[in-house]
Amino acid sequence: MIPRRGAPAPPAAPGLSERDIAGLVFVGEMYGVQLDQLATLLGVPEQRAAGFALRWRRLHFAESARLGPGRPWIWLTRAGLGVCGLPYTATAPALSRLAHIRAVTAVRLALQSTASYAEAEAYWRGERRLRARAGGRVGLREHFPDGEIHWPDGANVAWAGECWAIEAELTRKTVARTAAIMTEILTRTGDYGAPAAEARVPGREPRHARVLYLCSPAARRTVARARDALGGNAARVEMRDLPPGAAT
Amino acid sequence: MISRYLGLLAVRAMIRLLAKVIKVTTTVALIVAAAPVSLVAAYSVTLAWLLGWPPRQLYRAALYCGPMLAAWLAATAVATRSWTGVATAPQAAWLAMWHDGAAGRYALAAVTIAPAAVPLGLVAGAIAWQYRIYSMETGTGGLTPSAPAAFDLRQWRHQVRTARARISAPGSVPLTLPNETILAGAVIRAIHHPQVPLARIPYSRLRSHQVVIGTSGTGKTTLLLRLWAGFMAMGLQRHAAGAGPRPLLVVIDCKGGADSRRIAERTRRVLRGAGARTTAIWPDEASLSLWALPPDQLTTTLVDMIEHGTGGAAYYADVMEAIVSLAVAAPPGPPASAADFLARLDTGWLAMAYAAPEQADHAAVLRSAARHISDIALRFRTLFRRLGSGLDGPGTFADADVWYCILEGTSEITVAEAQARALVDLLASYAASGAGASAEILLAVDEFSAVSRRLPIWQLYERARSLGLAVQVSAQSWPGLAAQEDERSRVAATADGGIWLLRTPQPEPATALAGSRPAVDTTRRLLGAALFSAAQPSGSALPFGPARPFGSASWRREGSSRPRRTPVVDADLIRRLAVGQAAYIYRGGVTFVQVKRLVAGPAELPGPVRRDGPERPGPDGPGPDGPGPDGPGPEHGAAARRPGPPADAGSLLDEAFGPEAP
Repeated sequence: MIPRRGAPAPPAAPGLSERDIAGLVFVGEMYGVQLDQLATLLGVPEQRAAGFALRWRRLHFAESARLGPGRPWIWLTRAGLGVCGLPYTATAPALSRLAHIRAVTAVRLALQSTASYAEAEAYWRGERRLRARAGGRVGLREHFPDGEIHWPDGANVAWAGECWAIEAELTRKTVARTAAIMTEILTRTGDYGAPAAEARVPGREPRHARVLYLCSPAARRTVARARDALGGNAARVEMRDLPPGAAT
Repeated sequence: MISRYLGLLAVRAMIRLLAKVIKVTTTVALIVAAAPVSLVAAYSVTLAWLLGWPPRQLYRAALYCGPMLAAWLAATAVATRSWTGVATAPQAAWLAMWHDGAAGRYALAAVTIAPAAVPLGLVAGAIAWQYRIYSMETGTGGLTPSAPAAFDLRQWRHQVRTARARISAPGSVPLTLPNETILAGAVIRAIHHPQVPLARIPYSRLRSHQVVIGTSGTGKTTLLLRLWAGFMAMGLQRHAAGAGPRPLLVVIDCKGGADSRRIAERTRRVLRGAGARTTAIWPDEASLSLWALPPDQLTTTLVDMIEHGTGGAAYYADVMEAIVSLAVAAPPGPPASAADFLARLDTGWLAMAYAAPEQADHAAVLRSAARHISDIALRFRTLFRRLGSGLDGPGTFADADVWYCILEGTSEITVAEAQARALVDLLASYAASGAGASAEILLAVDEFSAVSRRLPIWQLYERARSLGLAVQVSAQSWPGLAAQEDERSRVAATADGGIWLLRTPQPEPATALAGSRPAVDTTRRLLGAALFSAAQPSGSALPFGPARPFGSASWRREGSSRPRRTPVVDADLIRRLAVGQAAYIYRGGVTFVQVKRLVAGPAELPGPVRRDGPERPGPDGPGPDGPGPDGPGPEHGAAARRPGPPADAGSLLDEAFGPEAP
């Protein structure tokens, strides 16, 4: 489940395996992860995943608690984020965002499980990283996708070199709002965190070749209508159902 | 007396027990004595069960061992220089095998007996497997009454797994074969069709009418793309060999919207790989000229494109036809564009055109209808505005190998109906004269019933038949095939090229066309392994083709058999088909196919997808090499720049999240 990367990461602390490191970085990038999803990520049974989480707790790299329904959540402490080199603020996942975080994690796991993703060595850039890049310059109305996938140039896929935006839709927004978000994502040219003047530069290639919407049954219809309202850009909007297990 | 009777009973029971023991002991001894043959037979039966093979596959494997057997016998003849040595070679090998085995030389023992044991074992395994299938078909096999149904279901799963494995190997399913055959995928099972590994569709069937029914997300587009690519590749091969005219594929997609555009782009890439030089996507990137129609046909088409009422409104329809006829057939010649035609719908222009004394009859018609001309002009002006520039030229069907026409049948039904009518008339005219008369044309229409109010689909069918066009009608369901039930039946019944069924909730009307086959329900008991008899069942409930066990007269007399008819195609199986599975019904038989997905080539480089006005790009858009020789158009640059459709990532997304929900 863990994507193959180029160079192996250096050991962060004595006694940590590569699986530990990959798991810690994943948890840090996703705000937090539920135990069953951690097990899927590590490719081990839940009981063994709990063993990993306990070890991280003993090392003070992670905290865990039952924050909501379902399995316990695991998130990184300040020490854990520091050892992973992730410049984020250490905090437990917000209760209001638990369902959303779980859905996005399920989407990332589903994509990482595909052969094309592993072979292409695609790279996931999560919302937390995007927000961190923007720092304090995040506008109130600026929308961040739930993730980006960067497909390296020269990968053996037809979409090599593309950057995709990922949106997990659990709840139904208005069609107008959804269409506005789609348009914002599809017309953006600059990176997140870049100067505002570079966000949309006429004539430049759009940043996102396409946006992938993973919808719950409740949100599917709205997203479809918003996509149809886009006109020519609609072909760049892919829609699929959320993977099984995305909901708690 | 009673004790004597009991004694006799005990003796009889003892004798029966003894007979059974002797029988079991003999059988076990035989199996052990013929251990190599038994092992091969057991292995082959297990393999056939796991892979869902028909017994024929094992017989074929045994046949392929013929050269090995012949070589072995020839070598024995050379070594022993006597026919007796050849005749006793199996026995000698058998004895040598045991001796080598006893001496611990197991590899040598295996090699010694293999030439004789492998073919014999395969034949024995085939007979055993055939017997198993036969007993299941007749309902006499299995431990429980439901065992035959479970056996069938399990075998279906095994066959599906085998078919999927077969198509997953790269290059395992080429698109075409040299004998003018197109390969659709791997055969899961076949009834009344040849049980071969790959589903072969002769090119001639694609030149006949076909029907494709399947709901969204079942792999219908994948199947259609494969058939279209096969038609194009084989047609071009035939054309290159001088065996046939150049193929032309015209797809009319009546759904519209973003989905249709994605499919159009995918079609372009797939068909480029199949040899099509150019794919025109209408009306987004290419246009056709309605004004190229012959004047009489142009008049009819223009009038039919306008919505008419019934009853009293028929009067206005007649007036309109008279005025349109005058405008089209005016002495200066037929109009060349919509603007030209609209300019003629003017009393002054028409009066001037028909001012000559010999045009007095026409002038009289003009006078009587003059007060309606402005209304008629208004209606056509509105129509042309809604139609856009897609039918205002330039362009003909000869400009591209593939035309993918997108009609907005979902959002703008009236416009789509008018466009459908015009496109069919244009194609009919093209096929009847000019370059199209010598082309092999396949017209594929998807959900045509949505726009067929002005052109019933059976009319399209009959018209195409008379012009030598092949029509492929696809729909999401049986009701979507045509507006009326009799039309649907007529369309399906005249599908000479076969019917493709993917998962659909109401397959019965289509499956009924495959007919039925005889089958037998029996309560008679089959005893022992039957060998060498001509007796065979009248039907096969299990889909391994007609089972022909070499059954001897080893059926018990007790019980009864009841012949019945059973459908060739099980409608419930159609409802259960998974994504990418299709049933091909043709001439009373069916082949279930795991369709092999065609991998599209890389997407085009981003570039301007459309330039409006007279600088409309060629049918294939900017092409993979970027803009044409004229360089980027005036809008190529900053604000007007729009990336082309992205590459098809459907395979990745299907793998990660399943197919897109309808």
